[in-house]
Amino acid sequence: MKILVPIKLTYDVSQLKFDTSTNTPLLDACPKVIGDADKCALEEAIRLKEKYSAEVAAVTIGDTQEHYRIIKDAYAMGATAGYVIKISNSEELSVNIVAELLASLYQKTGPYDLIILGSGSSDTHSSFLGALLSAKLGLPIITGVDKLTVEDDKVQGVSTMEDGTYTFNGEPPLIITVTSEANEPRIPTLRDILRSKRMPINEFSSEDLGVEISKIEITDVKRYVVERKRIKFEADDEEKMKEAVEKLIESLKKEGVI
Amino acid sequence: MDFEFTEDEIRFRDAVSEFCKKYIEPIWVEVDEKNVIPYELIKRMADQGLLCIPISEEYGGMGGTYLMTTIAVEEIAYHDPAVAIAVYALLNNGWPLALELYGTEEAKSEILPKVAAGEAFFGIASTEPHGGSDVAGIKTFAEKKGDVWIFNGEKAFISGVRESVELPWGGGWFLVAKTGSREWGHKNITAFALLAKKDGKRKEGFKETIYEEIGRGGLSTGGFILENYELEDKYRIGDVGKGFYHVMEGFNLARILVAAACIGATKWALDQAVEWLKNRRLFGRKVSSFQGIYFKFAELYADWEAARWFVYRAAWLADKIYLEKDPKYNIKDLNVPVALAKMRAPETAANVFEEVMKWFGAYAYTKECNVYRGWLGTFSYVIGAEGAQNIMRIIIARDIMGKEALKE
Repeated sequence: MKILVPIKLTYDVSQLKFDTSTNTPLLDACPKVIGDADKCALEEAIRLKEKYSAEVAAVTIGDTQEHYRIIKDAYAMGATAGYVIKISNSEELSVNIVAELLASLYQKTGPYDLIILGSGSSDTHSSFLGALLSAKLGLPIITGVDKLTVEDDKVQGVSTMEDGTYTFNGEPPLIITVTSEANEPRIPTLRDILRSKRMPINEFSSEDLGVEISKIEITDVKRYVVERKRIKFEADDEEKMKEAVEKLIESLKKEGVI
Repeated sequence: MDFEFTEDEIRFRDAVSEFCKKYIEPIWVEVDEKNVIPYELIKRMADQGLLCIPISEEYGGMGGTYLMTTIAVEEIAYHDPAVAIAVYALLNNGWPLALELYGTEEAKSEILPKVAAGEAFFGIASTEPHGGSDVAGIKTFAEKKGDVWIFNGEKAFISGVRESVELPWGGGWFLVAKTGSREWGHKNITAFALLAKKDGKRKEGFKETIYEEIGRGGLSTGGFILENYELEDKYRIGDVGKGFYHVMEGFNLARILVAAACIGATKWALDQAVEWLKNRRLFGRKVSSFQGIYFKFAELYADWEAARWFVYRAAWLADKIYLEKDPKYNIKDLNVPVALAKMRAPETAANVFEEVMKWFGAYAYTKECNVYRGWLGTFSYVIGAEGAQNIMRIIIARDIMGKEALKE
């Protein structure tokens, strides 16, 4: 069995602070890590490696030291191959280009039985990547999996949605996106970390993968702030209550809530 | 000179921090309140490879550097400022290394893997009811009969007494006893791996008492009486009559980690203070905006960072001596760097915690505030655990001023 696990270097949003005067995030001071759902994707793949002696290839897109570090971290968790698609300022890539690059890598380094990835990154969380990969590679996909079971050639993914729990069955080759609730990712020991620094990291450029790069410009990032209106509608008798309710409905319509 | 941690050291710190956030941070207050570290946590720490970090892989350890070990202890203490869990970790890293350096092959192969697996405790037993700093004056006596040593005596203020008796395999201590002659002196002391329990069975002639302490309660402190206690010669650590020198080496190694625990807890206190001071408003402004507050913060931060560099310099030197066996350095070169770290780190902790509690005001006097737990935990090292503060001053002065200067 061979599994590809794309992982993204994202901001550790639990440590993200904001400039209170401008509400902009202090990104330079924020540590970067493998996203939570991506870690769960790696953990699922490593568990399959332990069960079926699977090969697990981790891939990331970027060219900084931190991008190479997260591939070493993937090795420390148990990955058996590591790839870096070397592109500068990779956070400016649209998710469509990211999918193109990964699809090309899939073709070049495959065949793979499974692609397992996080259902969304910890920072931008577009949640499109899995679906785009499915479309580009013509592979079926099970999304938002909280519980993944693989028995020989049978794959079952359970997704908890707003209206209930859905169970999907499929067969490799297949794409699975997992949520950050799917498992408890292992924490590498010192021995794992020391072993991982000797593992090879293979590099690909966009030319190697035959993908033309275009980037998007992020013009603004601000903290979402809910402004309190602090409007009170007072009523102490039935007549005034009717009036107050009318005014409330009018206000809500003005805000576009109803 | 390169003051940066390597990429591997940063990755290891991040992994330890992740472990601590998940498994230690949620329970440290309960550990301190109930005076017990759950066995489940000890086992998790063992499975994560946080015990016996510097021990060879051959004996179940991680084969890591002493600097990595120091990083781990600092991180654990940051997430457990009451430091009981950090002290469990540091003892079961530092003293197993002392055993590996001088113990017999049989003792090492038997005991170290169990400590690494979280099934046995291994600490230090030197202090006696009549005194601790005066190691040359210990009274516990071991007499050799055939291949067996017979011990009679008493040890006091020993960490891990309950753990050595309750952990699945058992455990014990790097213990020093008089051998040959009972006179005061350095050359009639021998070191042993003395076990309270082994293979799940208590040893005869060992009787313990557990104390009720004012802080750091998650790890037990107690005493024990040895009455015709028998121990095979294979558990002797090093040559007969060399125990004083071996235990001093062990103390050097352990004190680096003790200092690391103190600075980890101190950083927690400083971080708590920053959040408190920024968010508390008095006299129409943030408390952090008063010069009297932020000047003092800057001074305490400087003290913390200075103590931290003492710790890491000592850890770096320990690796030069023991791991790299760099011929430029010898064991005695560690004496002053370690004494500096062990002198400064607990005293800095005490000063920082005191000031932070004053910033918190009356709230700091409540159990809910929790800051007092770090104050009490680290204060055990000001009082003199693992080496009295004035002994550190003697070590520094004797080396820097010269022995003659200290004579009357």
